Amino acid sequence: MANALLIQILNGLVYGGLLFIVSVGLVLIFGLRRVVNFAHGSLFMIGAYVGFSIATVAGFWAGLVGAAVVLAVAGALLDVTVFRPLRRQDPITTVLVTFGLLLILEDLAHTVWGKETRSLPLPEMLSGSVDILGEPFPAYRLLVIAVAAAVGIGLALWLRFSRVGLFVRASSVDPVTTAVQGVNTDRVSALVVAVGTALAGLSGTIAAPLLALSPSMGGSILIESFIVVVVGGLGSFSGALIAALAIGQIHNLGIIYVPWAATMIPFLLMVAVLVWRPTGFAGSHV
Amino acid sequence: MSRATMNLAPTRVAAPRLSHLSWLLLAVALAAGFGLPGVVASVLVLTLLTQAVIGGMLAVGVGFLMRQNGVVSFGHAAWYGVSAYCLGLLLRHEVVPAELALLLALGVPTLMAFLLGLVIVRVPGVAFSMLTLAVGQAFHEFSMKAQGLTNGDDGFAIPLPDSLFGLPISVVQQPETMFVLCWSLLALVIFGLYVTVRSPFGRLTEAIRENEERARFIGYKTVLPRAATYAISAFVAALAGLLFALYNGFVSPEVLHWSLSGSALIMAVIGGSRLLWGPALGAVIFFFLKDLAGNLTEHWPAMIGVTVIVVTVLMPAGIAGTLAELFGRLRKAGGGA
Repeated sequence: MANALLIQILNGLVYGGLLFIVSVGLVLIFGLRRVVNFAHGSLFMIGAYVGFSIATVAGFWAGLVGAAVVLAVAGALLDVTVFRPLRRQDPITTVLVTFGLLLILEDLAHTVWGKETRSLPLPEMLSGSVDILGEPFPAYRLLVIAVAAAVGIGLALWLRFSRVGLFVRASSVDPVTTAVQGVNTDRVSALVVAVGTALAGLSGTIAAPLLALSPSMGGSILIESFIVVVVGGLGSFSGALIAALAIGQIHNLGIIYVPWAATMIPFLLMVAVLVWRPTGFAGSHV
Repeated sequence: MSRATMNLAPTRVAAPRLSHLSWLLLAVALAAGFGLPGVVASVLVLTLLTQAVIGGMLAVGVGFLMRQNGVVSFGHAAWYGVSAYCLGLLLRHEVVPAELALLLALGVPTLMAFLLGLVIVRVPGVAFSMLTLAVGQAFHEFSMKAQGLTNGDDGFAIPLPDSLFGLPISVVQQPETMFVLCWSLLALVIFGLYVTVRSPFGRLTEAIRENEERARFIGYKTVLPRAATYAISAFVAALAGLLFALYNGFVSPEVLHWSLSGSALIMAVIGGSRLLWGPALGAVIFFFLKDLAGNLTEHWPAMIGVTVIVVTVLMPAGIAGTLAELFGRLRKAGGGA
């Protein structure tokens, strides 16, 4: 019984970890540009397809790296062509433009990869399962947890100890003052948006063997990551981590014990947190 | 100035009186609605127009929220869909008389929106948009999962009675008569919103939109008016959902899907929300463009995506706002000559 519960907790960690990688991209972009990218879910979807296409030719690991690189370039372009020109406008303008982008990207995926759902096979070396306290657990899911942990630790170290990380943290508290101090916030922003979208691409490919690939797959992950970001507090790195892990567990345990209500629980949790603290439980700092 | 005359309670803002012109415009709009089915011979065009007017009603709700609260809803399909499901479920299980079911289909989503509004209007700008998207999707998920109640993905046909308020049911099922009904209701809704916007309540919500902190400092409560505005816009969406349910006689989770919320938002953006009738114009343009694009290209989503981006960046007032501006400039030029 205890072992079965441990397996369920690990499954929750897989989903929470995935949610964290997607959400933290949104958090980084919000921190610097004070905007929310409504096309983030579509970038996750494009990442999954790009990873799928590269993986079928050059293997899973090349797909993983390739998707991150392609999406990083797309992110830098997104910053230069959308976020930077619109930075003095109402944030709602950027929201609407990225919403338009979402429609274009879904149509693009329809055109390039077709309407039928596709699936990416598991990499061979991870297709087996591992015994954890006598219970079998798919090895690939452990990889997902490991990647999420690596992303979390890597980002935390980068934000805490690097020079760019310092700029990012300063900029997320007060972008104007940071720019006045001589930091080229535009260049920092292009880099950070690229990292954020690269994480969307990476998570898309990581999730691809677990999900069915379709042009509309970005919708539900976008909504769940919005719940994570709002519950955690907009722009809060640690808030997003806690919220993603909590929602991962709740989502997974909910599916097992109360399947009819599972999809409603994260939403109810969100309303409860907002009644208690309208800015999310970590306020609005990185 | 003596202390005794200082009044610390917020003063009431005087509402300007409605001009004769606005009443005249309402009368013309209503007359046009009755006249149009006689002029438009094609049933296909009339069907399209009826859909556009129902879509326009939803968009007017979204636009009103943008105008008065300055926030963008990505989840108004929730109130549209809850209304349609409310009518469908009440009639299917024969809980109440059909007339009462109609009223409940409007009242229930409005009340739900008001209560939810008390929580979510406190969240600023962009986060509000994210929340409305999540809320809308929660309703959609519920309609899919609650198989026993809603018949899940497949939806169900609504058993409509033979007559409603003494009118035969065919009135709401045939495009010729349904168009007149929807159009008249849309004209009345826009007129009602116009009166609301010019009332002290409307002025107060605009003040809060411009600067919530100052409005609070001069003594106004700010959450309640914003929640009430949200409820009004939800009521308009619910009315649209009710008309949809009556016209189609069928309800499925599609009426709650976020792509419907997105379409309504697109209509409001294209038409422009500064003028109350802008979103309705946007809806007509949206439906005719969609019909046109359907014959020409498969890339309708990309086309509408590009349209949204272009209008947002180059024409923030939308097509209605730009037209009104042009008209104003022409009148000025004419007056100067």
